[in-house]
Amino acid sequence: MADKLLEIKDLEVIYQSDFETVHAVNGVSFSIERGQTMGLVGETGAGKTTTSLAILRLLPDRTGKVLGGSIEFDGRSLLDLKESEMREIRGEKISMIFQDPMTALNPILRVGDQIYEALELHNTEKKTTEELHKRVDEMFEMVGIPPYRKREYPHQFSGGMKQRVIIAMALACEPELLIADEPTTALDVTIQAQVLMMMRELKERLGTAMIMITHDLGIVAQTCDTVAVMYAGSIIEYGTLEDIFSKEKNHHPYTEGLFASIPNLEEETDRLHPIEGLMPDPTNLPTGCRFSPRCPKCMEICKTTPPPEWEENGHRIACHLFKKEVQ
Amino acid sequence: MAKDKKRKVKKGGFAEIAFRFSRSKTAMIGFVLLVLIVLVAVFADLIVPYDKVLEQNSSNLMATPSKDHWFGTDPLGRDLFARVVHGSRVSIAVGLLTTIVAMVVGGLFGIIAAYYGGRVDMWIMRIVDIFTCIPGILLSITIVATLGPNFINLVLAMVVTSIPGTIRFIRGVVMGVTENDYVEAAKSYGANDMRIMLKYIMPNAMGTIIVDTTMTVAGCILSASGLSYLGLGIQPPSPEWGAMLSDTKQYLRTSPHLLIFPGLAIILTAFSINLVGDGLRDALDPKLRD
Amino acid sequence: MNEGKGRALIETRELKKFFYTPQGTLHAVDGVNIRIDKGCTLGVVGESGCGKSTLGRAILRLHEPTSGEIYFDGDDLMKYDKKKLREARKEMQMIFQDPYSSINPRMSVYELIAEPIIINKVCRGKAEIGKKVAELMETVGLAERLTGAYPHELDGGRRQRIGVARALSLDPKFIVCDEPVSALDVSIQAQILNLLMDLQDSMHLTYMFITHDLSVVKHISDEIAVMYLGMCVERAPTNELFRNPTHPYTKALLSAIPIPSLEMRHKEIQVIKGEITSPINPKPGCRFAPRCPLATDECVGHDIEFREISPGHFVSCIHADK
Repeated sequence: MADKLLEIKDLEVIYQSDFETVHAVNGVSFSIERGQTMGLVGETGAGKTTTSLAILRLLPDRTGKVLGGSIEFDGRSLLDLKESEMREIRGEKISMIFQDPMTALNPILRVGDQIYEALELHNTEKKTTEELHKRVDEMFEMVGIPPYRKREYPHQFSGGMKQRVIIAMALACEPELLIADEPTTALDVTIQAQVLMMMRELKERLGTAMIMITHDLGIVAQTCDTVAVMYAGSIIEYGTLEDIFSKEKNHHPYTEGLFASIPNLEEETDRLHPIEGLMPDPTNLPTGCRFSPRCPKCMEICKTTPPPEWEENGHRIACHLFKKEVQ
Repeated sequence: MAKDKKRKVKKGGFAEIAFRFSRSKTAMIGFVLLVLIVLVAVFADLIVPYDKVLEQNSSNLMATPSKDHWFGTDPLGRDLFARVVHGSRVSIAVGLLTTIVAMVVGGLFGIIAAYYGGRVDMWIMRIVDIFTCIPGILLSITIVATLGPNFINLVLAMVVTSIPGTIRFIRGVVMGVTENDYVEAAKSYGANDMRIMLKYIMPNAMGTIIVDTTMTVAGCILSASGLSYLGLGIQPPSPEWGAMLSDTKQYLRTSPHLLIFPGLAIILTAFSINLVGDGLRDALDPKLRD
Repeated sequence: MNEGKGRALIETRELKKFFYTPQGTLHAVDGVNIRIDKGCTLGVVGESGCGKSTLGRAILRLHEPTSGEIYFDGDDLMKYDKKKLREARKEMQMIFQDPYSSINPRMSVYELIAEPIIINKVCRGKAEIGKKVAELMETVGLAERLTGAYPHELDGGRRQRIGVARALSLDPKFIVCDEPVSALDVSIQAQILNLLMDLQDSMHLTYMFITHDLSVVKHISDEIAVMYLGMCVERAPTNELFRNPTHPYTKALLSAIPIPSLEMRHKEIQVIKGEITSPINPKPGCRFAPRCPLATDECVGHDIEFREISPGHFVSCIHADK
């Protein structure tokens, strides 16, 4: 067993169309240990979903290309595997939950059958049909749905319940890594609380590692152990939960901006402090630091040279501001 | 990362659609073919004078293709090439006229049904359902047989059989467009129904409708040929491809050229229109956008 | 015609909107009483199915209310005929939620903003319209070079600014903002919220701000109304609501929000059991009772009074001050 469950180094992904090249992921590196939850934070277009699709080799055939870097899962390089080998990994070792529960389930199959299908496809231990059906019931109970509902169709379930079914499907084969792409964004806040609590309990019971993709820092605070903040295809800050949330430590100006633009329930504020400007065009990224056009602390060097990485005890920031502190 | 070239073509504009269309080999082949056929139809008189269509040469019946008669001659000694060339006019005219009328009338009812919904929709759709129960061929045969076979009645028959399908299709497209918030927004600042239909709904439905229109034209040309083959369309001596097939069907084994040329003309015309329609649909489809 | 109703610009009395479905009557808005003073913002909060969007549309009569009264500056809107309503519409506008489907993709920025002006014949001649559009674009922070741009060239934030400019074009007094920032990224949300607040100050606007996001509503509202299944369950000035949430649903709603702070990581979350019940043919009594941890037999079977437990703070719960 390898030391780290998932290790990604210098991943680069582009989308190539007739008109243009979109630089979606530009040199991303991080690792996840067994049982750990990493939050992948960023706004639309930061590259979070692309990164997760790249891990599962689910990028669109015609246009998505991994240009460089490595993805190692349990010691094996995922980028070198054959498609048939990848299929054994998907659903069984690495599972993914997508954002929109409304469209993730097949509307013409009963929900129980959909979980059964996942189990059947990955039946490496050659369990009997009865054993598989029993497992389906177990999964339903685990996510808090009475097993008799397994004969119903997706449209008979509400959004929150559908998401539970999807989680049951994803965890049915007890994967070692679960990638959850904004799993609660489409849900109401009270249902979100239910689902997040359930995910936390399941994770602890099954020991699953998780990548939680979200733009909500509140969810990150509640569920994650480590955090990676993405901007324009790169990780600009990475660290433990304490590193990112602690006000005394150093932070990338974008991270600070994110925290400042959230209306805070605890404090009274007159005006919010949004980050000026917009996320850059991924077909036409700025030279030097990608955040430089919007950075309130931008220096001359930021516009021309890509920022170096500052590190302290595993807390990494890609910014020129802290260069002086590197030994 | 180095800067990439700026987009040369404005996203979503006409130029992008044309560009995307041109990337498809099949679409371009269809387009070129179609342009040729239309040019032939338009300039038929210049290519071959009309009297050649009528001129009968009894000493040279059913001749095979030769230097003087590129497609040979028909059972009455008429130059087949001239007849095929001039036949294109009829086919194109019928196809276009039928489609335009069907689209306008069908479109009107389709939009009204979709926009107003409720009872209006119900009544229109029930009438459409009734018409859909009658087989198209039988309906058009009945109309032409009753009113007499000529160009106008042929067009009329085909319009009547096409309209129900058109209404249903356009209704579907308009319903999809009406769901968008911008229609509700327009109502909220006082836009009247006419303005909403013309400025908000139509422009957004046009893309899908245009694609369907091209397919309808092809279908009409085939139907017209079919009806003329049955003797219910264009009457002799006017040249019409379907009628030419009918007139010479007994000579299939002895003088196949009599059927091959008009037959090919029908096939190529319908085929090229279909290729163009497919290409347009692919070019307009946002999901295929990368 | 102001009958001296204080400074209330909008007031509704027992406003109801029902939809008739094959399964039964859907009580989307079921007897809502709200009041918004001039220049203030009422935040309307609730989750899906609570009826907040329907309420906003019903007040503008975009959905025709089933019954009840709507007073706009003292006049009952329900009594207006079509013509008067059209006139009144100039003073009440709406900003829509989805910046992608709420603007016509075939119209340029200029045409989109000019549209209400043209339809209502507010200006005379192209020059005047052009001037007004340019003013509006500047007010909402849209660069002049975007005048001829089309929506697909713009991001969500800019599109929403078009929505704001369009709503302002008729110089309205009251704007219903239906989740105007929900579809936007966090940093853009902040920009648009600041814009809305600045406009309120400079143009003396009155807002009804509909959202499911409690942190956003806290920031922008003077008063907040919490809705559940078509009814208002609690209403109070903003600070009072957050300091002293009384209705069990409000408490659960507040506690469910994930706070972006380390200290709050292990706070006790009141997770409400179950799912929202159906708004079709609801039985009399508290609609939240099936899920409420405090529910007793007295909670169902009869209408619950919406009573004032402290100045300006209303709750519809019989357990409120126990």
